[in-house]
Amino acid sequence: MERTVFFSGNEAIAHGAVRAGAGFACGYPGTPSTEILETAAHLKGIHAEWCINEKVALETAVGASLAGVRSIVTMKHVGLNVAADPFMTLSLTGVNAGLVVVSADDPGMHSSQNEQDNRNYARFAKVPMLEPSDSQEAYDYLAEAFALSEEFDTPVLLRTTTRVSHGRGRVVPRVPVPVEPRDYARDISKYVMVPQYARVRNRLVLERLQALRLRSEQSSLNVLEAGTADFGIIASGVAYTYAREAFPKAWSLKLGMSNPLPYAKIARLYEQVSRVAVVEELDPFIEEQVRALGLPVIGKEAIPADGELDQDVVARALEPFVTRKAPRRRRPVFPPAPHITTPPEPPAGLPVRPPVLCPGCTHRSVYTGMRRHKLAPMGDIGCYTLGALPPLLALDSCLCMGASIGMMAGFNKALGRKGAAAVIGDSTFFHSGITALIDAYYNEAPGLVMVLDNRTTAMTGHQGHPGTGVRPDRTQGPAVDIQRLCEGIGVRCATVDANDYGALDTAIRAEVDAPGLGVIVALAPCVLTLRERAGEIVVDEERCNLCGLCIDIGCPAIAPGETAVEITDACTGCALCVEVCRRGALVRAGVEDGA
Amino acid sequence: MNGTTTVSLVGVGGQGILLAAAILAETAAAEGLDVKASEVKGMAQRGGSVLSTVRFGDKVWSPVARYADVVVATEALEGRRALGMLTPRGTLVCAATTRIIPGSVLRHEDEYPDDLAAAAAARGVRLLAVDAEGLAREAGTLRAVNVALLGAASTALPFSQESWRRGLAAAVPAKILEVNERAFALGRESVGEEDEQ
Repeated sequence: MERTVFFSGNEAIAHGAVRAGAGFACGYPGTPSTEILETAAHLKGIHAEWCINEKVALETAVGASLAGVRSIVTMKHVGLNVAADPFMTLSLTGVNAGLVVVSADDPGMHSSQNEQDNRNYARFAKVPMLEPSDSQEAYDYLAEAFALSEEFDTPVLLRTTTRVSHGRGRVVPRVPVPVEPRDYARDISKYVMVPQYARVRNRLVLERLQALRLRSEQSSLNVLEAGTADFGIIASGVAYTYAREAFPKAWSLKLGMSNPLPYAKIARLYEQVSRVAVVEELDPFIEEQVRALGLPVIGKEAIPADGELDQDVVARALEPFVTRKAPRRRRPVFPPAPHITTPPEPPAGLPVRPPVLCPGCTHRSVYTGMRRHKLAPMGDIGCYTLGALPPLLALDSCLCMGASIGMMAGFNKALGRKGAAAVIGDSTFFHSGITALIDAYYNEAPGLVMVLDNRTTAMTGHQGHPGTGVRPDRTQGPAVDIQRLCEGIGVRCATVDANDYGALDTAIRAEVDAPGLGVIVALAPCVLTLRERAGEIVVDEERCNLCGLCIDIGCPAIAPGETAVEITDACTGCALCVEVCRRGALVRAGVEDGA
Repeated sequence: MNGTTTVSLVGVGGQGILLAAAILAETAAAEGLDVKASEVKGMAQRGGSVLSTVRFGDKVWSPVARYADVVVATEALEGRRALGMLTPRGTLVCAATTRIIPGSVLRHEDEYPDDLAAAAAARGVRLLAVDAEGLAREAGTLRAVNVALLGAASTALPFSQESWRRGLAAAVPAKILEVNERAFALGRESVGEEDEQ
């Protein structure tokens, strides 16, 4: 007899993840998801950590995936609301190593504040979803989930409910899945979701969904099981077990992969029987899609739309419908593939005018200092995201507000060393960077966090934030000090004048070499908020040999002339170019009054 | 009036496209017309291209349009780029002497186009090439390039002088209204008799 173990669904998920080669697990506790991580914490070959919340947990798992380690992140249904920001854009970036997001839903609200049906998140984000119906499937599906994630370059949602997560059953262990290691390769068009790249990725997501539907048609997880009655059932998850027990003679289409739905398999069930019911807890998720095919179905008019089901509820709900006259047979109408726009061609031969960091912007100094070091810079959202583009190429990622620090932490934890840094603006740090920094401290993630503090929410037009105390009517309220906040957490922190390139360079060098976690606050007010120029730069044409070092900082005020570089009127006199020039060809001049 | 007229305003972030659009919208409203305007301004301060669209008529439904009857361009390259968005008999009012050099041209990767008049003729659109910088300087501030151009564009739009006056007063802050009124008048006068059809 085969060796079997007796696992809860949650234990099975943890063991299944390890069997599938997952090396990193994180999450935030929440019933009924909690035991997945608690189990993983005691298994060999996988690192498990609690995160400060579900958003940071997902961002941490994304970082680990980028570093090349298969990762799983666990949460309860409402937790995915907290993680929805990274989740929605992760669908666009896709993954490096496989990434599985477990959402454990709680129909009946045994210990929850609502009973939202997170299957809707799979459709919302256009990602594949697997729904195991017992412990064995929970164990087995992890291998399929990671394989799908890597093959289709997408996060996979593994959705359970209380009775799957907390139900127990026999599990036959399988041989481990061989997993090829995946190196990290920077790819800004894939990982930096600025509009120009996100538009391209979004089209790929729409195409991916079509490919996933084909996979769903072929998947062995979606099985049409023959019956003897003129009655068929479509079900997924634990509801499938209720339906099978209530109607043993019925045909059934068992959906292990419930997004996207296999339309042709659904149609095949309708070729066998004249009455079909969808048995599902909570929302008419499958039912509405079946109806959209033009097929008559027994659904939420019979099956309760709230609370948990069981075989008794299902039997009583469906019996009056099963004996009714069968509806007239209809042919399904499959929705055509959606029209996906082709990007408009820009007028040929005309130079484009992409947004750039302003002349005199001190983000440029930080990036110039950082790119001397090999740390992969996880980016965030603000003006500084513009530094991801050529010629600076200063950021490797941009996922969602506040994602940089969690991604850095996951990347470095998975790698076991300081391989990534985080770059985040002051307003974004207050938005959702603080929680990730606390998390990185608690989980002992090494790394360098660069806070670009330009004393305003610059990108959106210089709004106030808690670090400045400025209110919408421009009056002054209390302000939070970032350095004291970091030190209060327990994180090493230094504040450096971002106009002082030498000091900045020294601070970055020291922090790159230091062990553990550290923050540098690069402080300088946004150049657009300053009324006066810092000075004037003149070119010593004898010395300039057009080597290009100053051009590489990407300043719109520097242009290569015929024999020497030229400084245009846009120059603010920040003098970063003076710092990077090795020949002394750029020099500060005295500021002329009334210039 | 019949149908809906579309005016697009294009330029580079910081050139006052949004103010010009506001003046135009207020002027159309002063004529008693329905007006809708929309713009994408997220990158407005970062040197990127800016586009604002103002549509007016008895009843305006959509706030956007792929093609414009009149394009007001505060920068020559952006005017050149906008030729493709003009209707066949449309008018391009362009600050032909205003050049804001993009980075790729500074780095010699691209060339700044020099074919505005020829390209406009090839497309069959009417070109009002305006020295808006010169007019703005004459009015008293280089920042009034946008309003000087609007003055030139006013010759191609069906609004009374009184409506323009009210439009300017409604949209322009009081302390810079006078200089902008001068720039508008200079722009309007700059369009010679031979240009008016």
